[in-house]
Amino acid sequence: MNGSLAQLSPEQLLALLKSRRVCRSFTADPVSDEQLRLMTEAARWATSAGNRHVHKFLIVRDPEVIHRVRAVSPGMLTAPPALIAILTDLDKAERESLQMEHDHANWMDVGTAAMNMMNMAHALGLGSCPVTSFSRSGAAVMLGLPPHLTPEWLLIVGHPAPVPPPRRLSVNAPKPVTARDLTWWEQPGRHDP
Amino acid sequence: MPATDRSSPQMVLTEDQAFDLLAFLFSAAEISLVEPTYYGTFRLVDAASRLMGFMLEHDPERSREFLHRFKEEVDTKKVWMMWDREAYYDFLRAAPAIVAAELKRLDEEAALESEATTP
Ligand SMILES: Cc1cc2nc3c(=O)[nH]c(=O)nc-3n(C[C@H](O)[C@H](O)[C@H](O)COP(=O)(O)O)c2cc1C
Repeated sequence: MNGSLAQLSPEQLLALLKSRRVCRSFTADPVSDEQLRLMTEAARWATSAGNRHVHKFLIVRDPEVIHRVRAVSPGMLTAPPALIAILTDLDKAERESLQMEHDHANWMDVGTAAMNMMNMAHALGLGSCPVTSFSRSGAAVMLGLPPHLTPEWLLIVGHPAPVPPPRRLSVNAPKPVTARDLTWWEQPGRHDP
Repeated sequence: MPATDRSSPQMVLTEDQAFDLLAFLFSAAEISLVEPTYYGTFRLVDAASRLMGFMLEHDPERSREFLHRFKEEVDTKKVWMMWDREAYYDFLRAAPAIVAAELKRLDEEAALESEATTP
């Protein structure tokens, strides 16, 4: 391990990861420069295929711009006080000889960067939610992007509004997925070691 | 032709709000090309919720109470799609009757009013 993380136990890390839930409802309180800086710092330290870092993080807090971006983002259920758009820099991707149409590593880098940001937001007491259900072409216009920058992921962030917890409804409502459901040992289908 | 002329002079959508909705609907159409098919129902319901939100900003006299109540119900139940799809589908089946009943109520109210004002 590089460096020591004596202050953070595995239990504490797991508690942080487990208590993060997407947040789709925010107060009007602003998100500070420092909080956003810490989030993008966390994103920078995500794994990056080939250490290429072909993504940029565009921070937006202008309510007018956010309102317009939301108009082309059906997946953005509420207007947040801030958003971070993860963009692919196609010029850089070309310089790195990336085969964008075939190489899925690009998408994975978006996901790992976003996950680090969401966990940092949670550690800061903020709520966040990924939004990938948006029109790429529409969002590019609303964000004023030049053609070599394409929006891949919008991360909305803010101070969570107090909302009632989701209710399970019908008797047939599916049970939450557990780690065991998703894990196999040594061979497909074997849930225990 | 509607059975009753209920045309109200009150506007319930500005040009800006209408464009917002246009942008939303076209974006929803585009992403429906790649998303799971049942998400399309969610986009329609969410568009309806946004429309009701815009209408409420204009405080429509006749329907404000209904819109307020129904929008709250829609916003609570639309997200059931993510954790209880059967309950969400049940809501989809129930919602048109709720709107239909309100339309009928508005028709009846307008008919009564026009009767009262006809010499
Ligand atoms: C790739 C990806 C795309 C997502 N897109 C959206 C979206 O457009 N809108 C939204 O409200 N939630 C979106 N989500 C959030 C998921 O719905 C959420 O993570 C899931 O319901 C589990 O909730 P949890 O993260 O609180 O456990 C997305 C999540 C991921 C990983």
